[in-house]
Amino acid sequence: MQPLLAIAWLTWKAAFRFRLFLVVSVLLLGAVVGLPLLIKDDGTARGFTQILLAYTLSTITALLGLSTLWLACGTLARDIEECTVQVVAIKPIARWQIWLGKWLGILSLNAALLTLSGASVYSLLQWRATRLPAEQQKILRDEVLVARGSVKPPSFDKEIQAETDQLLRERLQKNPDTRANIPEARKQILEQIKARFQITPPGYAHIWEVDLGSAKDLVRGQPIYLRLKFNAADKSPSGTFDGRLLVGVPRKTPLWQSDVRSLAQDTFHEFEVPANFDENGLLTVAFGNANNTVLLFPLEDGLEVLYRQGGFGLNFARGMGIIFCWMALLATLGLAAASFLSFPVAAFLSLGVLTLALSSGTMSNAVAEGTLMGYNSEAGRTGHSAVDVVAIPVFRGVLEVINLAKDFSPIDSLSTGRSVTWAELGRAFGQIVLLLGGGIGLVGIILFSRRELATAQAQ
Amino acid sequence: MSGKLKSLLLLALIGALLAGAGVVQQSLNRDRDLLGLTRVQPLENAPPVLAFTTVALGGFRGLISNALWMRATDLQDEDKFFEMAQLADWITKLEPHFVQVWLVQAWNMAYNISVKFKESSPGQYPDRWRWVKAGIELLRDDGLRYNPNETLIYRELAWFFQHKLGQNLDDASMYYKQQWANDMAKVFAKKQPNLDELIHPQTADEIERARLLRETYKMDPQFMKAVDERYGPLEWRLPEAHAIYWAAQGLKKAAENPTKIKEEDLITLRRVIYQSMLLSFQRGRLVTNPFAQAFEFGPNLEIIPKVSFAYEQAAKEDEKNRDHILRAHRNFLRDAVYFLYVHNRLADAAQWFKYLATQYPDKTLLDGKTNSLPANLTLDKYAVARVQDDASNKGGRDRTEAIIEGLLVNSYRSMVLAEDSAAAGYKLLARQLWLSYQSDIPTERLGAIGLRPFEEIDQEVRKRMLDSRGGEPPEVRALLRTKLGEPPEATAPAAATNAPPEKVPSQ
Repeated sequence: MQPLLAIAWLTWKAAFRFRLFLVVSVLLLGAVVGLPLLIKDDGTARGFTQILLAYTLSTITALLGLSTLWLACGTLARDIEECTVQVVAIKPIARWQIWLGKWLGILSLNAALLTLSGASVYSLLQWRATRLPAEQQKILRDEVLVARGSVKPPSFDKEIQAETDQLLRERLQKNPDTRANIPEARKQILEQIKARFQITPPGYAHIWEVDLGSAKDLVRGQPIYLRLKFNAADKSPSGTFDGRLLVGVPRKTPLWQSDVRSLAQDTFHEFEVPANFDENGLLTVAFGNANNTVLLFPLEDGLEVLYRQGGFGLNFARGMGIIFCWMALLATLGLAAASFLSFPVAAFLSLGVLTLALSSGTMSNAVAEGTLMGYNSEAGRTGHSAVDVVAIPVFRGVLEVINLAKDFSPIDSLSTGRSVTWAELGRAFGQIVLLLGGGIGLVGIILFSRRELATAQAQ
Repeated sequence: MSGKLKSLLLLALIGALLAGAGVVQQSLNRDRDLLGLTRVQPLENAPPVLAFTTVALGGFRGLISNALWMRATDLQDEDKFFEMAQLADWITKLEPHFVQVWLVQAWNMAYNISVKFKESSPGQYPDRWRWVKAGIELLRDDGLRYNPNETLIYRELAWFFQHKLGQNLDDASMYYKQQWANDMAKVFAKKQPNLDELIHPQTADEIERARLLRETYKMDPQFMKAVDERYGPLEWRLPEAHAIYWAAQGLKKAAENPTKIKEEDLITLRRVIYQSMLLSFQRGRLVTNPFAQAFEFGPNLEIIPKVSFAYEQAAKEDEKNRDHILRAHRNFLRDAVYFLYVHNRLADAAQWFKYLATQYPDKTLLDGKTNSLPANLTLDKYAVARVQDDASNKGGRDRTEAIIEGLLVNSYRSMVLAEDSAAAGYKLLARQLWLSYQSDIPTERLGAIGLRPFEEIDQEVRKRMLDSRGGEPPEVRALLRTKLGEPPEATAPAAATNAPPEKVPSQ
């Protein structure tokens, strides 16, 4: 352990010697202090806090990410090019220990910088919040500076799939000689069955039963938030649709009902409602359609119940924990590249990989469409290319790997008051640091261990 | 020459050359604009950072702008609006001369984003108003700042006032009007708008209000007065007056830059003016309702001649749409006659009825009645038929309320004339009309487009007639007070104010 710590300490010293620590600290604090003066918010305390949180954390992640990548490439590649690594390598210390020591050094630097900037953001938010009127503070504490968990109604996905398959089988039995496009036919049957669960005719109510599960103990006596979204079959002159919410079951739980509210379609509406669930933790919610048109509540996000799961402080710390996992991965990537490449090439490669990961949208589109040739909306069909046979599986594989790290959105969760759970943090650590970082790190260590250090010299 | 001195001299030379270039640049910009040497106009009124950014980024501005636009679209799809103001600001600043960018971003905020927000409590829409205001501010405060001669931006701004704030399509339109009137009440010190005191402010309060009008609302009181004289009298606390103001500003800029203007743009600006004048006629009078702690509307019958003239002018100038405009003009005249009649201005009604008959002798006066040509109807018969029509069909909230008000005025005037049966008849007619309108509205829409309670309208009309500034002669007021059992009028009139009460504080 001592050799590892010694190398880590050397990395710290180098960071101070190159004034990297100082420069990055100033930049991070500058971003935290300066951004509130520059950004244009939507005019509400909630909006300002959300944009402040999103922009400061994004800036911190970007600044720290780039400096981590730069430092990781520089600290190893330059040591090799300037032959200083030879002085270390002749000591009784294994190559993997040099590599890992540098990684630990960069990581501890990141931890310090992240703590410094994170604490600044947190203090700034808390300070600003205390200066707001009590009413605004309540909104902030209830909707942004909070960790809200969520429960959704059952998706009925298995039942829908089973019914779809059964219906398809029946139709195929009726028409055994059919030449229809079977996958397309199945898709259409699926949509028909889904519609039964989603649509609410005029004058009817859409009813959900949400099992709060273990969350019922947390929400007892506290308000909960219903997040509702619908689409309408027709347009309305005012652009909005009327509806009334009902929470609870008559003669079983207390009943709450809203006024008729004028709501836009295809958007999320949040309502604070009492937690009128029954003794089993079952919450019944109804939405009365008071329009002359059919409303459709999507199965995926038609209704979501949000409740207070914990405080903002710990949630913020967990969010920063996921950002830290990303930094660990970038440090690994930089060191791995520097293990076999010169500094400029390693930096170029690392940045290239980062850019590729950040712009994986094109690959996602290609995988979703099953071709590189894109979808021709005029002709109503997708193109095909011989390259697709190779490219699409490769893209799929690459996306699988990239999504191991990209599957987390702590900044988004924090700025919208969503809970970043311990499980999520654990999963991030497992996927990003252990699995992805471990793999890349192992390759880096092997390459570094096998590298002939004396042949690489700066010009 | 020592190295230090040489450096100093060189620095001085750099400074002098930069200053010289700055001077020459202005004249170069003027010349290239005049001679049409470049398609892209030089950026006006931009702060140094923006001017530098637009030049330094060059063609990359478009790429960055595209990326930001995509982010804005993605966020909007996810219903995350807290970044939208910032993104719109960046996008427009990166393409400050691209007029469509300003228009789309402003429209998006005022129309698409605003309706996504629900009311905070019944009838209260602070979130929607914030976004409508943001759209207006983007055009007015920034778009026009960098593109002061773009008629399309004036047109869009005028349209927001006319359509988004003025009309009743949005459930929150009454809330918008209330908020706008509250904003304007600060400019006009909660009393009848007096433009002269803002043109030549004397007191500290007037100076401050004139500054508020010029700097916050970017309006010129001198030009407002010119607009008021030409198209008014207008009620400046209502959105229609502002629609007319910004459209008139657009026309003024177009006149100053005739080579850069398309005829269609001028037509749309003129259209905003006469359509807004029509709205002003229908409900361009602001009346305070102390009972409901809000303001209400009444028809502005004083601008009938100017509205008619505006239509005729537009018909002359827009040959392509002449028939549509004349049809609208005829409809307006039919309403004008009717409104004047029900407000007991019989001489004016007769005069406009004659004018209508002269202008459109071969067009029917009543919808669906082929024998209702002007030659076949008297003024009285026409008015009665219209009341019957209104009682059975929907004339819209504003028009229906205006007619009810008019019937009540007639009722009280009949009462003064001791024609009690006529008074009762008018009141009965007014109540019938109120009931008929309300009964056809779905219960859940009553809040949005329903009439205020009949008793409230009645109280308001009665109060207006008893008010010494209401236009009724003292002897009529005295008689009416006696008939209604009200105490005699106080000798000293109260200070003039009919500012809308600030029911909901501005956000």
